[in-house]
Amino acid sequence: MNEQALKAKAIIENYSGPELRIMEVCGTHTHEIFRMGIRSILPENVNLISGPGCPVCVTPVGFIDEALMLALEKNVTICTFGDLVRVPGSETSLAGARSQGARVQVVYSPLDAYELARDNPDEQVCFLAVGFETTTPAACIAVDKARENGVDNFTLLTANKTMVNAYRALKGSADAFLYPGHVNAITGTSACEKLAEEGIYGVVAGFTASELLTAIAVTITRLTEGKPFFENCYPRVVTREGSVKGMRLMEKVMEPCDAEWRGLGVIPDSGLRLNDEYRNFDARFRFDIPEIRGKGNPACRCGDVLQGKCRPSDCPLFGKVCTPQHAVGSCMVSNEGTCSAYYQYDFILQQARQQAAQK
Amino acid sequence: MCVGLSARVVKVKDGTAVIDASGARREVSAELIENLNPGDYVMVHAGAAIAKITSDDDEESAVVMEKIQ
Amino acid sequence: MDNVVTLAHGAGGRQTSELIDKVFGRYFANPDLTADDAAVLDVDKGRMAVSTDGFIVSPYEFPGGNIGKLSICGTVNDISCMGARPKYLTCSFVIEEGFPMDKLEEIAASMAATAKEVGVEIVAGDTKVAGKGQVDGLFITTTGIGEMLPEANTSGAFAKPGDAIIVTRDIGRHGCTILLARNDFAIDADVTSDCAPLWEAVESMLDASKDIHVIRDATRGGVGTVLYEIAGQSNVGIRLDQEKIPVDPAVKGVCGMLGLEPLYLACEGALVVVVPKDDVPAVLDALHRGKYTSNAAVIGEVVDDMPGSVMMRTEIGSETLLSQPAGELLPRIC
Repeated sequence: MNEQALKAKAIIENYSGPELRIMEVCGTHTHEIFRMGIRSILPENVNLISGPGCPVCVTPVGFIDEALMLALEKNVTICTFGDLVRVPGSETSLAGARSQGARVQVVYSPLDAYELARDNPDEQVCFLAVGFETTTPAACIAVDKARENGVDNFTLLTANKTMVNAYRALKGSADAFLYPGHVNAITGTSACEKLAEEGIYGVVAGFTASELLTAIAVTITRLTEGKPFFENCYPRVVTREGSVKGMRLMEKVMEPCDAEWRGLGVIPDSGLRLNDEYRNFDARFRFDIPEIRGKGNPACRCGDVLQGKCRPSDCPLFGKVCTPQHAVGSCMVSNEGTCSAYYQYDFILQQARQQAAQK
Repeated sequence: MCVGLSARVVKVKDGTAVIDASGARREVSAELIENLNPGDYVMVHAGAAIAKITSDDDEESAVVMEKIQ
Repeated sequence: MDNVVTLAHGAGGRQTSELIDKVFGRYFANPDLTADDAAVLDVDKGRMAVSTDGFIVSPYEFPGGNIGKLSICGTVNDISCMGARPKYLTCSFVIEEGFPMDKLEEIAASMAATAKEVGVEIVAGDTKVAGKGQVDGLFITTTGIGEMLPEANTSGAFAKPGDAIIVTRDIGRHGCTILLARNDFAIDADVTSDCAPLWEAVESMLDASKDIHVIRDATRGGVGTVLYEIAGQSNVGIRLDQEKIPVDPAVKGVCGMLGLEPLYLACEGALVVVVPKDDVPAVLDALHRGKYTSNAAVIGEVVDDMPGSVMMRTEIGSETLLSQPAGELLPRIC
């Protein structure tokens, strides 16, 4: 760790002001914060909340059900990021569908799904397009190539989301946000500057130990100063204008829509879907998928957890029927889900401490 | 979201780039970045280079910490 | 002889004998290899270690080895971990109809070479041929018998607070190699499998220390899974030093791309060893002179808090828990 990061760490550890709530809204931030044990160096009055930044956690049950219908009833090969394979739908998961004979292929990139379609013209191939502005451009490149090269057996099932209106919906859940650096790499930072004028504050944060520590230190300092702020703490990757080509591409291929966020409900103008020009590559249109309302477990409190309204341990399912091995809610599924991280760290820690005390 | 990996660009051709991250190589899309050249460093996500990287995180933390000193 | 394996080779008639004589007999020849229904072996007094393991790997050839070498190493290493000198092996083949004969010979040859290196004899075997599509290439099951060294007494339950944790080489190579060889993610890297027989390494450690508590072969679930097993069996905590865990840069690069944890990638030539701290220099010295263990390193220690857990000291000087083994290894992208 470099000298500046040590300084940042000292600022964080020595903070003694009023309670601060800082929300990270990126699953990889949650993951890295967990992996580097950053929570264990925070003073008690700095509360780091894991917000709705993991696409797996915010993808509604109905989306998984749509994918299952494509795989099991429409004979479509599903290409997906590994993240989604174990997420429970109403009845089963993609892993469950695979054991029933469905073709489910884990890919690294939407472009790999496109190539699979191109090389197997007799097979319908659908990519499950989840993710935020970081991931959406790659899906747009794939579908644009499919249209250009007449690869008509390729489709997207879209659940792409955009962050800005989610911050607005979450205003009040936190004093400041750690903005997801790789989203801003594409979108740039002008939207965040505008948010600061609306009273929504935050800093763009990177992902290494020194980047996360410096971003948190800057946030604490600015909050203490009590003035509106926005800072880019990830300047080696994020510029003010972002990826102009990436933004143009998304505008060319997609259009804004309202989107359902698992646990949060519908947030207006917070999603992207294929526009009319690309409608034929939309799996819902091509395969005439009816509207599906997924059935999550009604007792699951993932939504409250995502908004920092309750701790995972306040949920009646947590640690009892809902564990990383048998996830009920989406926050337990992916390793960076808040409940999963909490289960694997705090909960186990407490159990072990209790055991040790009894000994 | 968004696992990113910093990597060096080895080759650029027809909208794609071959990148190398400490010996792990892969072809990725170069369509999101203007003027990409071999030797550049990029951030890679889901098979696309999403940004050029301008320095390492040591230099960066000096810049960032200056904001609050 | 035919250039592919056919159902007739598994029917028990002339072609079966021909396959056994020309491929297996030729490579595995030794005085104890039976032509009868069972091998009859001399046994010394004392205790024996017995282990069996099935091998399914796709692709069946990969940089650094093939399924044949793997099937010998896997069982030899399981026996070795108990402190037993591997003596005899049996092997059972299930081969898919149409499997290329020259590949089968290559596999038999590498089994023979690996067995010879360890000094273990293949004494009995079985061959079945399954219809096209019923088997993915070929499956091999090996069973091994080893002679316990009288002083050896190791178990996953014997780790004690204060012990040091050693891995015998850089981790995650086999899992990474197979991932690359399947080419599902179109990533290219110069990584070879660590697949290797480790009896010599175990023997040299047992020679260097009379008080080795645990020796475990980190296979499928990787070093992380083994550490959780040891923490559970011994009812102790394990604290690792993130920075001391040896990982090849290219393996790290592949893991970075796919969001994978190297501690959960399979190894086929790496042991996890738990020894009292005082014995570390002697054990490391012995390992560093070995053929497959020259970059052995201490990666952590056994502690008495947090029983059943594996903790990690991180680069920022804080502490975190190693996430628990999660079954199927899935790349994390978004």
